[in-house]
Amino acid sequence: MPHIEVKKISIELPVFEVKARSLRRELAAIGRRNAIAAQDGKVTVQALSDVSFSLRRGERLGLIGQNGAGKTTLLRALAGIYRPTSGTIIRAGRTVPLLDITLGLDDNSTGRQNIRLRGLFMGLPRQWVAEHEAEISAFSELGDYLDMPVRTYSSGMRMRLAFSIAMSVQADILLLDEVLGVGDSAFQAKAKARLREVAGRAGIVVLALHSSAAIMELCDKALWLQAGSVRMIGKCHDVVREYDNFMHHRLAA
Amino acid sequence: MMRAASVGNGLQDLYHGLGSFRLWTLLGWLDIRQRYARSMLGPFWITLSMGVMVGSMGVVYGTLFGQKMAQYLPMVGDGFVIWGLISGILNESCGAYINNANYIRQNNAGLWVYVFQVAWRQALMFAHNAVISLALMLAFGFPSLTVAWLALPGLLLLVANLVWMGQIFAILSARYRDVPQMVAAVVQIFFYVTPLMWRPDMLHHYRWILTYNPFGALVDISRSPLLGAAPSAQSWLVAAGMAVVGWPLAVFIASKKLHLIAYWV
Repeated sequence: MPHIEVKKISIELPVFEVKARSLRRELAAIGRRNAIAAQDGKVTVQALSDVSFSLRRGERLGLIGQNGAGKTTLLRALAGIYRPTSGTIIRAGRTVPLLDITLGLDDNSTGRQNIRLRGLFMGLPRQWVAEHEAEISAFSELGDYLDMPVRTYSSGMRMRLAFSIAMSVQADILLLDEVLGVGDSAFQAKAKARLREVAGRAGIVVLALHSSAAIMELCDKALWLQAGSVRMIGKCHDVVREYDNFMHHRLAA
Repeated sequence: MMRAASVGNGLQDLYHGLGSFRLWTLLGWLDIRQRYARSMLGPFWITLSMGVMVGSMGVVYGTLFGQKMAQYLPMVGDGFVIWGLISGILNESCGAYINNANYIRQNNAGLWVYVFQVAWRQALMFAHNAVISLALMLAFGFPSLTVAWLALPGLLLLVANLVWMGQIFAILSARYRDVPQMVAAVVQIFFYVTPLMWRPDMLHHYRWILTYNPFGALVDISRSPLLGAAPSAQSWLVAAGMAVVGWPLAVFIASKKLHLIAYWV
């Protein structure tokens, strides 16, 4: 049974200056190991601090917050790509991340070859490609383009391919980052229907979206991140209303 | 489930990486395909450029050293082909994580995959270069099979050693961007001090260069059988010893640092 339990996680992202990355600096600092020398040029950004929440089957969580609030970092942590600096994440179920449509596709391979590549990255068996290729082809509406290299695709077409692949996996936990922004309105409607269906078959969906309307439409729960901390979590309508009020006041000010 | 770093988990990561062989063989092959896309000779450019190098260097140095070409050319040829594998894996492992940042930040496929990808890519290039070894055998005679088969375990042990070094270089390079340059410089030095263009018995002074050069042993176990000579037992011991010490070291470092790679690339 899929569930996610996030307990007081914090993530510090190291940001390296070009100079700070060099071995020379590090070696030069050996002799004078003090707090300043060790920190020399290396800046850490507190991307998330003390974030806790839990999700059960069938829940659809929307992440909202301004740019840089930590939405993508949180999704990467949920995907197991970033290990939190402190705190724990307990996650059960097959997790499929779709975090950036421009990443994770090989530009020089065809759409069809990319289906295989993505399948292997997600640790799916060989038969999976054979079983789902037709379905992905139909859902993405790419037609003959599926046999063209991905570098010839428009961003909307890339998104359709990446999204269709992610949707065809029997995912228990689906993590999406702002991917619905691309693609025409017809595909967006289809994609939203598909997302509900995935959540409907007892899965968990976590998605980051800028549009309040889309969050209201797709999610039943929302988490408002501000500067890496949870500002508010709860029923989708309540959180989105508060967030919109807040943004409105900021605009007015 | 997030786990605390431990050596047990390090072994699990390694096992998981080995199990994803369909992924890293595909990624390695895609690299080759992309590099030689739309060129007429394709990957056989690897063979051609190596062949020209072996031919020209072999003739020049063979003459300089006053060697018989029938013995000298196969020695240099097989030596260069094997060194191509050594320098290829060591140098390109440095970019294993740096160059795959886009995959690493999108997937949680385990990080050994990218080190194996480099090794596989280089193994494919080695296979293309092996044509040169074959051509040299056709021209100058085949070694007897009773010895030649020893090249197989020799090559396997060689690659096993290169992969653990590759993992360590990959991690260091992701954190310190000077390491790729450093590795390139050191590998270049070893090219000259390893008996590739010269025979060990041609070195009258400074024997310690041989004694303390681990690549001498690695080249001995993989090349000597191709030339019809059994590698020395000492070379096998040194090579095996390196693997026995190196692998636990690489797995240990990986268990401590792999979770930071996503932050570093």
